[in-house]
Amino acid sequence: MVYIFDGTKSGFLTAFLVAYADPEAVLASEKIQLPLGQTPVFVATDEARAEKAKNRLLAFDRDCMRDLDTLLRSGMENREQIALGYFRVLAREKRPVSKRLAEREVFEAVECMKKVGHEIHKFHGFIRFMETASGALYAPFAPDNDICDLLLPHFRARLPQFPFVLHDIKRKKAAVYDGQNSFVAPLERAEILLSANETGWQALWKRYYRAVNIPSRERLKQMKGYMPVRYWKFLPETQTSAEDL
Amino acid sequence: MITEEKLKILTESAKYDVSCSSSGSGRKNAGGMGNGYVAGCCHSFTPDGRCVSLLKILLSNDCIYNCKYCPNRLDADVPRATATPEEICELTIDFYKRNYIEGLFLSSAVYKNPDYTMERLLLVVKKLRTEYRFHGYIHLKGIPRADEKLTEEAARYVDRMSYNIELPSEQSLKLLAPQKSKESLLLPMKKLTEQSEAFREEKKKGLVKGYFLPAGQTTQMIVGASPERDGQILRLTQALYRKNGLKRVYYSSYVPVVKDKLLPEVGAGQLREHRLYQADWLLRFYGFSVEEIVDEGEDLAMELDPKCAWALRNMHLFPVEINRAPLEVLLRVPGIGAKNAYKIMEARKYTKLSFEDLTKMRVALKRAKHFITCNGKFFGAKNEYAVRGLLAQAETQESAEQLDLFGMLSTPQNALIALHGQL
Repeated sequence: MVYIFDGTKSGFLTAFLVAYADPEAVLASEKIQLPLGQTPVFVATDEARAEKAKNRLLAFDRDCMRDLDTLLRSGMENREQIALGYFRVLAREKRPVSKRLAEREVFEAVECMKKVGHEIHKFHGFIRFMETASGALYAPFAPDNDICDLLLPHFRARLPQFPFVLHDIKRKKAAVYDGQNSFVAPLERAEILLSANETGWQALWKRYYRAVNIPSRERLKQMKGYMPVRYWKFLPETQTSAEDL
Repeated sequence: MITEEKLKILTESAKYDVSCSSSGSGRKNAGGMGNGYVAGCCHSFTPDGRCVSLLKILLSNDCIYNCKYCPNRLDADVPRATATPEEICELTIDFYKRNYIEGLFLSSAVYKNPDYTMERLLLVVKKLRTEYRFHGYIHLKGIPRADEKLTEEAARYVDRMSYNIELPSEQSLKLLAPQKSKESLLLPMKKLTEQSEAFREEKKKGLVKGYFLPAGQTTQMIVGASPERDGQILRLTQALYRKNGLKRVYYSSYVPVVKDKLLPEVGAGQLREHRLYQADWLLRFYGFSVEEIVDEGEDLAMELDPKCAWALRNMHLFPVEINRAPLEVLLRVPGIGAKNAYKIMEARKYTKLSFEDLTKMRVALKRAKHFITCNGKFFGAKNEYAVRGLLAQAETQESAEQLDLFGMLSTPQNALIALHGQL
């Protein structure tokens, strides 16, 4: 049976209780391609039941809600199913299971969480701010996983005096720091007026990037392995303009 | 704002320095901009596959020295430029603000004299920390023969310092870099290590505040410009790690940019550099000592990585049982890296690991299978000769996939198949 829930943690926990006894259960939060003749069950989120499930699971592993949060942020299509497998093992063992890597469900979940963590680390480096006329910084990007708010603490700690916006173009939302507080808000499109020097600094950065490369040692495969091409769209240094040629 | 032309000259002169790491400093933001990132952070990657972490730049490339291998040497006919401290500071701040970089890696040619150069470098880092209130990462290159007081003061402002040893023996230094000597390079390194330890002691007692090289020191050697063997180079490396407490030793395979009768006409090749780094890793993370890896007068084997080569010389220690071997033994199994060793240690607490379990955990077994048993079962080749052949073959396949990595033709490897791959 296919169980569909709203994608939230509470939704997952409610659906987990409903689907737990069904060994064939498939969990999903969006419309997925259903096998012919299958009708999905829509599970309505029940906060009270979810709270109960949460407390029981926390008694087995006090870090498991952080794991659930991470898993549901994943960009993998079968993230809910991976989470189901992981929490099944946890419910069966009644103790932390994240180190049982020989267990397929655990291994898959741990790999999935790692991908989210790695992407956060990568974007600590690959975020590119533009300076706006007001002095605030604006960075558009399109991460694989839903992580824009998880980048906030890092940039707040190093740029405490600059308001900034981390705009997830793909999910149409933004993590915002206004100079004092931070929050997440839906954001479709942003109208940006750049500061007078912005293009000048971008040009210097591109010049630097070209100068520091050693052309006789080209290793594009390695470069793309570390810095996937899908991230390039938002990096000034990988955009070639007419005057670069 | 610095001009594009000046930036180009001062970057191109600095880019052959290998070090790019920005790790090891937990410097806090104390108002102003920036902080340290203990794990280090890469901000971009250039088409040569290297990471861009720090703004790597020279304050000046106008040099009074005449080191044979150096493109900026006195005799060389190249465009010269010198930046002002303000230009460097602004560039750092504005790049950092946009998250292009993790900090500054500042070096310089020796212009006028060592003291003057060091004074100017000190001025830049002091300005950055105090006037510009920058708390991001700074790696500063030390100038040999500069006044000790200047060096010590600089160490209080920056996260890491490095003196490049350049050539692995006094003799080669005399020949190729006559204005430098082993003493002029090793002495300041030693001083800084001592001062650093003293500072940490005092800080523990609450007598001093601030930082003194929180990310330690590193160095760099050019490999293949002079006749030293890998065994000699790695002995120097081991001494630097053990006695001088260095964080990293970098190797840079010699590229013939400069023509001189004292210099070889061909480069050392990327494979030699790669093997040295593999051996370096064994020293730092795998509990090996150099005496186990290579004899003093020998080079590392090209056809096998140094861990495989060691294992083949010590077949009487293998196979080891994956479910019982202690960590330090697992770390010595070819093909099992540090991460996988820890993974195995954890997973075997819950179940007896089988060969299939290891596959599921994505532990690469191509090499390891010849050196382990899983629950007493062995899946490797029967005798040592077969193992040697299979390992060399595994290496060749990977090298063929990574041809661009080594930038060389596969012919030497093909020759090796003929030698070892009688299968």
